[in-house]
Order: sequence, then structure tokens, then C-alpha cells
Amino acid sequence: MKLQMIEQSPLVLGAGELWPDATSGDFLSAIRDGNLPSEAFQRWLVQDYAFAKGLAAFQAVAVAKTPRPAQKVLIAGLSALDAELDWFEQNAQRQELDLNAATHPTCRRYVDYLVASAYTQPFEVLLPILFGVEASYLCAWSALEASGPYAEYIERWSNSLFVDYVAELLGICDHDPDEIQQRQFNEVLRHERDFWCMTWEG
Amino acid sequence: MLHASLWQQSGDMTQRLLGHPFVRGLADGTLDRDVFRRYVAQDAFFLRAFLKAYALAAAKCDDFERACVFHDLMTGVLAELKLHGSYSATLGIDLDDVEPYTATTAYTDFLLRVAWHGSLAEIIAAMVPCMRVYQHLGHELAASLRPDHPYEQWIKTYAGDDFGQLCARLESLLDEIASNSPAVHDAYRYAMQCELDFFSAPMENTP
Repeated sequence: MKLQMIEQSPLVLGAGELWPDATSGDFLSAIRDGNLPSEAFQRWLVQDYAFAKGLAAFQAVAVAKTPRPAQKVLIAGLSALDAELDWFEQNAQRQELDLNAATHPTCRRYVDYLVASAYTQPFEVLLPILFGVEASYLCAWSALEASGPYAEYIERWSNSLFVDYVAELLGICDHDPDEIQQRQFNEVLRHERDFWCMTWEG
Repeated sequence: MLHASLWQQSGDMTQRLLGHPFVRGLADGTLDRDVFRRYVAQDAFFLRAFLKAYALAAAKCDDFERACVFHDLMTGVLAELKLHGSYSATLGIDLDDVEPYTATTAYTDFLLRVAWHGSLAEIIAAMVPCMRVYQHLGHELAASLRPDHPYEQWIKTYAGDDFGQLCARLESLLDEIASNSPAVHDAYRYAMQCELDFFSAPMENTP
């Protein structure tokens, strides 16, 4: 029900074809089919960790700019992001991945966009940006059945706690987005689309 | 000297810049006028972000004299924007209504991220390549000047002593403030890549 509410929100509907572009792709299809090459998945893990660190910087600045009570949602999210970074680090150690590997230009552009926006945009725009990041990620993974070799990961990024968080983010966004909010939400989706392509193509 | 070492390490990119079709076209005057028009519009958008980055660098200076150098560098950017303003009338561009290319926003997002979030050393390292590349191109292309060269004004601006002195002052600040850390090296190298991409974009993005 909440997932449907997210997918039917004005920002998502206002994004048109950018939404399916940002929430599907060859990488996700291969995960669903269980035939994703392990090097592609490992590449994605390393780049997603670099992205998550950048997102933490974005969110920390956004926390500082967002008034209460909306700020509580962002603080809780930041704490969850910290746990997520721990998970990445433990996972990388198990798989012997180098998390200090070079950041791909596509990941770098996404992080530069987020951190620059954190400082230059007002909180009313930062909230749709954050909603865009999390909603597209949630919906991309939620479209996959939690089975096969990547079941653990699918479950991790489509579980009910994550759905609740994204629904709360939607709840603190303006219900009737203005042109700037929609434009920045769309910009997030372009970066998401490019990120999935990068992890597939390398 | 750190600035010389970073520039030297970017020799591969400098060669690619000098051989870039945009730069070759500027040199021999055959660059398509529409491509130049699109470049000027994107550059004006970029320079507004560059100006902000200088302002943020000045704000991060503990030393008053150094802050004053950034003030002078900002004056230089304003002079460049005036040059673009003079082009815009003849080229028919509205510099207040520029839709940035992906390569342009990649560069401005990078600059603004570093300027707001990074150290003073990283900011300078991210900004030197733009100055040094243009000074170098102006110097190299000056030999191509001939009567009625269509891009004479552009080449003379960046080949001129005024621009060269501003570039040297920024490079001196880099030597004073920065160390050859991975972050400084990375910012410099990435800015060089952004310069290359910036010249390619007006040739690839056709209306």
C-alpha cells in the first residue's frame, strides 16, 4: 500500500519516463534472472559504497538545514545510513573488495551533484532530492522477487522498514511540488539511470 | 614546485587538449561559428560557478592578503564575463538563459562541491587547471594569429599578460597552501578531464 503511494506520488508521476528509466535496467534484470556476473555485482558494491559516503555528506548538511519535526526523519535516516556503511565495509572484507578503488566518473558526478546541492539548495528542495534517491532505489529493488543468489540483497533494500522510511520522506515533501522541486527530483533520476548503466557496462 | 609538478604530470591531457578539434579550429579559425556560440554560452554558465568558488575560497582564507588575491581573481572572472557579454550581442546568445550541458554541470557541480565542502588546498587545486589550460592555449595559439582571424579576441585575451599574471598568482597560492596529497592530485587531474570534456560538449550537442 505504501509502495503504491510512493509510486503514485506527484513527484514520481511528474517525472514521466525518467521514473522507469531510473528503476529498471539490464543490471537489475540480470539480478532478477540470477545471471549477473559476480564482477559486475562487486563493481556495483564498491561504487555504491562510494555513493553512500557521499549521500551521508549530503544528508548531514540537509539535517542541519531542515527544521523540526521533518528533521527527525532525516536524522533517523542518517543513522540507518551509518549502519549501511558498516554493512558495506563488512561485506567488502568478506569478499576481499577494495573499497578505496577509484570512484567511477558517473558515481562521482552523482555525488558532486548531491553535495553541491546540499549547500546551495534550500531544505524544501533537498527533501524531494532525498526522496528521489531513496524512492528510486527502493522501487528498483522492490520490483525483484527475493530469491536466487542475490535474495539477501533484494530483501535488504526492499524490506518494510525501508518502505516505511521512504513513505516518511514522501510525507515531509511538499504535496504539490513546484517547478524547481520537480526539476531537481528529475535530475536525481537521471543520475540513478546513469548509475545503473555504469554498474552494468563498467 | 607543486604547480609545475602537477602540470607536468598532466602532459598527456595537455597534448590531447592541443590536438582537440575544438582547439585546432580555434587556432586556424575554421571552428564552426555555431559551435563557438554554444561554447560561449556554456562558458558563461561555468564562469558564474567559478566566480562563486573563488568567493568561497576567499571566505576560507585565514590570511587577509591571500583573501585579497582571490578578490583580484574574481575581478579577472568578471572581465572574462564582460568579454562573453560582448560576444553574446554579436552571436545572439542570452547569457541569462543558458541550459547547461551534462559536461558543464559535471564541472560546476564538482567545483561547487569542492568549494563548499573541501579544504582551501582542494579548491585551489580544482581551479588552477582552468586558468593554466587557458593561459597555455592562449600562448600556443597566439602563433596562429593573422589579420582578420575570427577568434583573435579570444586568443589575445588568454595569451595576454593580465591573464598570465592571474594564473601565476593562483599557482603561487597552490604552492604555498597545498601539499601533494591524494585529494589535491585528484582534484587537479579531474579538473583537467573536465576541461577536455568541456571542449568536446559544444561539438557533440547540436540543437
